[in-house]
Amino acid sequence: RKHFFKMTNLPSDQLLQMETTCGSLLYELQVIWDEVGETDAERDKMLLELEQECLEVYRCKVDLANRCRAQLRQAIADAEAELAVICSAMGERPVHIRQSTQNAGSLKEELNAITPQLEEMQKRKMERWNQFLEVIEQIRKITLEIRPTDYTPAKFVVDESDLSTRKLEELHKQLQCLQKEKSDRLKKVMDHLKSLNLLCEVLGIDFKQTVSDVHPSLDGVEVSKNMSNETIQRLASAIEKLREIKLQRMQKFRMWQLQDLASTMLELWNLMDTPIEEQQLFQNVTRNIAAAEDEITEPNTLSMDFLSYVEAEVLRLEQLKASKMKDLVLKKKSELEELRRRTHLVGETNCEGEFAIEAIEAGAIDPSLVLEQIEVQISTVKEEAFSRKDILERVEKWLAASEEESWLEEYSRDENRYNAGRGAHLTLKRAEKARALVTKIPAMGDNLAAKITAWEKERGLEFTYDGVRLLSMLEEYTIVRQEKEQERKRQRDQKKLQGQLIAEQEALYGSKPSPSKPQSAKKMPRTSTGVPSRRLSLGGAIMQPPKPDLLHTNKSIRSAKKTDDIGTLSPGRRGLDLAGLPVKKLSFNPANPPREAETPRKPFAPIVIASNVPSTPLRLISNETEEENKNNLKTAMAAPPPKTPMTAYIPMQMAMTPAPTCLMYEAAATVKAQKAEEFTYSFEERRLAFCLTR
Amino acid sequence: MSAAPPPSSGRELANPPSDGISNLRFSNHSDHLLVSSWDKTVRLYDAGANVLKGEFVHGGPVLDCCFHDDSSGFSACADHTVRRYVFSSGKEDILGRHDAPVRCVEYSYAAGQVITGSWDKTLKCWDPRGASGPDRTLVGTYQQPERVYSLSLVGHHLVVATAGRRVNVYDLRNMSQPEQRRESSLKYQTRCVRCYPNGTGFALSSVEGRVAMEFFDLSEAGQAKKYAFKCHRKSEAGRDTVYPVNAIAFHPIYGTFATGGCDGYVNVWDGNNKKRLYQYSKYPTSIAALSFSRDGRLLAVASSYTFEEGDMPHEPDAIFVRSVNEVEVKPKPKALPTPPP
Repeated sequence: RKHFFKMTNLPSDQLLQMETTCGSLLYELQVIWDEVGETDAERDKMLLELEQECLEVYRCKVDLANRCRAQLRQAIADAEAELAVICSAMGERPVHIRQSTQNAGSLKEELNAITPQLEEMQKRKMERWNQFLEVIEQIRKITLEIRPTDYTPAKFVVDESDLSTRKLEELHKQLQCLQKEKSDRLKKVMDHLKSLNLLCEVLGIDFKQTVSDVHPSLDGVEVSKNMSNETIQRLASAIEKLREIKLQRMQKFRMWQLQDLASTMLELWNLMDTPIEEQQLFQNVTRNIAAAEDEITEPNTLSMDFLSYVEAEVLRLEQLKASKMKDLVLKKKSELEELRRRTHLVGETNCEGEFAIEAIEAGAIDPSLVLEQIEVQISTVKEEAFSRKDILERVEKWLAASEEESWLEEYSRDENRYNAGRGAHLTLKRAEKARALVTKIPAMGDNLAAKITAWEKERGLEFTYDGVRLLSMLEEYTIVRQEKEQERKRQRDQKKLQGQLIAEQEALYGSKPSPSKPQSAKKMPRTSTGVPSRRLSLGGAIMQPPKPDLLHTNKSIRSAKKTDDIGTLSPGRRGLDLAGLPVKKLSFNPANPPREAETPRKPFAPIVIASNVPSTPLRLISNETEEENKNNLKTAMAAPPPKTPMTAYIPMQMAMTPAPTCLMYEAAATVKAQKAEEFTYSFEERRLAFCLTR
Repeated sequence: MSAAPPPSSGRELANPPSDGISNLRFSNHSDHLLVSSWDKTVRLYDAGANVLKGEFVHGGPVLDCCFHDDSSGFSACADHTVRRYVFSSGKEDILGRHDAPVRCVEYSYAAGQVITGSWDKTLKCWDPRGASGPDRTLVGTYQQPERVYSLSLVGHHLVVATAGRRVNVYDLRNMSQPEQRRESSLKYQTRCVRCYPNGTGFALSSVEGRVAMEFFDLSEAGQAKKYAFKCHRKSEAGRDTVYPVNAIAFHPIYGTFATGGCDGYVNVWDGNNKKRLYQYSKYPTSIAALSFSRDGRLLAVASSYTFEEGDMPHEPDAIFVRSVNEVEVKPKPKALPTPPP
């Protein structure tokens, strides 16, 4: 029995005490038995019973302990098993199991160790589980939204055996995909709705109605719009349908356009001066003349009402146009005439216009054709007018000047002109001005003639002024003027002769002319009373300048021509003027300045020299020109053929200073050489041009 | 050979072209001389033996020619074509065409390409080895600001001189655009451009008796070296006459150079020392082209009217080959430490 207790950790005194108690109780029993006088057999039986009962109690305890142990083991095993299941479900490695069996503490310790782990794992599993549920719920919702048709609840049962993070991620991915799809679809739907809205606006169709026809959820501001495949498809088809309508209507529109109605509308407005307010109503139409399908976005531009409205307007305009065509043609024609009149161009179309009107009335010609023709004519006349403007202005001035001249002539003939009367000071002033102007006429004529010849040369046309060639007008004028001069001169001579005759006669008959009276007074026998003769002669003198001037102008023009001839000739002779290459300029540029300087000076040159100057100096100039030319050519290009004495020159120099002659660096370039700058072609290019022309 | 020419001019080649000489060049391998002419031919002479070895007739005036190797060459023709011919077989093919007359042609040994410049304002590069057919031979077309008047090559440098006094410098390895775009430092039309044999720059001559010496190096120090000088001028009775400088040829060994002008003179210059080394006696008419032989012992001179005064009677076109005396082309050592007073 003792050794039973040895195993325990109970304090030994307690055991000792217990042993003594047992001993003392046995002793007491023996004492009792002694007193009672029990037999030994009885006594042994009693003791055996005692022993057996004790044993029974022990066995009982051991059994209990044993069962307890088994329970503990079971609990541990269960816990471990559960842990293992959870771990595997969560996809984690169950580390602790092995560990705990290896370092075997007591069973209770083991259990204590495993329980918190298990609890922890269970908690984590719960959390994971919730996450799964959440994700799956979302997936379910979206799937239901996107594809309600293939929704099956079975798909969304969570398999508890697989709660790994991998799986969760998978689900998350799936969710993201779905979310993306959803947003895509939403966007698509919104896009569709937008384009639908646009189309509806353009076509004038109720948008809400169209949309709710497709799906009631799409209407209004509802957030959750149905976005199943079907809806999208229906939306698309609705759009397609509307677009078709739009295209159809546009086609219609285009058809008009083909008939040029929309643009004729513009044209007609223009022609008929339709007020802007009226035009603005149709701005949408006219603006869309050139628009493509997707460019037409303005609300209502293609609504049926509006289309018929436009149609009506076009019809109205057409009718209006038909009725007004004749007026229009006349209007345009008068515009053309006016333009022609203003630019002094004579149209050859006078009768043609009449004819056109008749033809229109008879219906033989399409009035729009005539209109077009007239338009073209107007534009060409305008163009021409532009090119003629400068010259015309000058002509105006010149004409005004010659008018003044003729007035002056008239005025000079009036012998009472110096009579002080009303407004005499004004005419005097005018005469003064006119005289100044008259002196300028030759120069003006010159200038004008030069301008005209340039114009004619440029265009290869004659410059006409009210149907007459302007140059011939100018020439005529100069001739008339010359004649007038001559006439005047002859008169003067005659008068002089007469005067002499009278003087002779008077001398013959004794009556001498008074010495105080100059001869000139006699020249004007009908001189009015108060006018001093001196002034008269002065007036005559003033009248004189035009004559030499005139003569001179004529000559100067001719002389200019002459020099021109020379200018073009000489380079040709020099063999430079090949194929009209710009070298030409170079060759006579230097000749030009002196000549040009001379020409404007001539008109103001003294009268006496005028008659012979143009011929002699001109020859001089031309000589100079040639010489200049030659020199210039030499400098610019090369030595003249063989007459060079330089062979003797430079070798001698070389002989004197055999080798190192110092170079001159960047000395100032000679002025003459600068003309070489005008070379725009190399010798080879000119040579090839020459070869080709040969 | 029997008719003794003036000894000073050198030996005149027999059978010269019958019209103006546009260019002449010595071979890099022999004393063969290739001559292009306005008489629509390219002629090959053996300058040493004074023998005409071949003649190639073209569709139009030939404005330039160059050697490929000793046995073949290229020509630039006014009929817009670029041709290649093999001297031994007389075989001839068209490398390609420009849109206008082709003014000049160069062959680059470095790039293995033919480079042509034309009045159509382009530069074209050709691969002469390309299979026949112009679509294969054309390597590239490069727009120029104006009509091309003269080309010159050294190493990978290509200098293009055009009308309007423009000068483009290319690197042959990257032709996509000019390495340098310059304006001629001379005020007048460019006649000729030639690169220095040492590859540091180029000389450029103008119609106004002047030559500019330019350098590729764009640094300030590099550009400070450039200068221009007057030449081929005459002063007579107080009147200066200025002649175009048609030709420049560098001596392959000494780097000195000869210029030829419409005055009929050939001058030899030392560009480094800025001195004239020599002047040969006057030739009958304008100097149209100059070329030193590969060793610099011979100088070919084309005395041929260059049409500077248009169509007019002139001396017959002639080619003179003169042997070059070293003293004529060798730079004189500087009058060392102390500069001349």
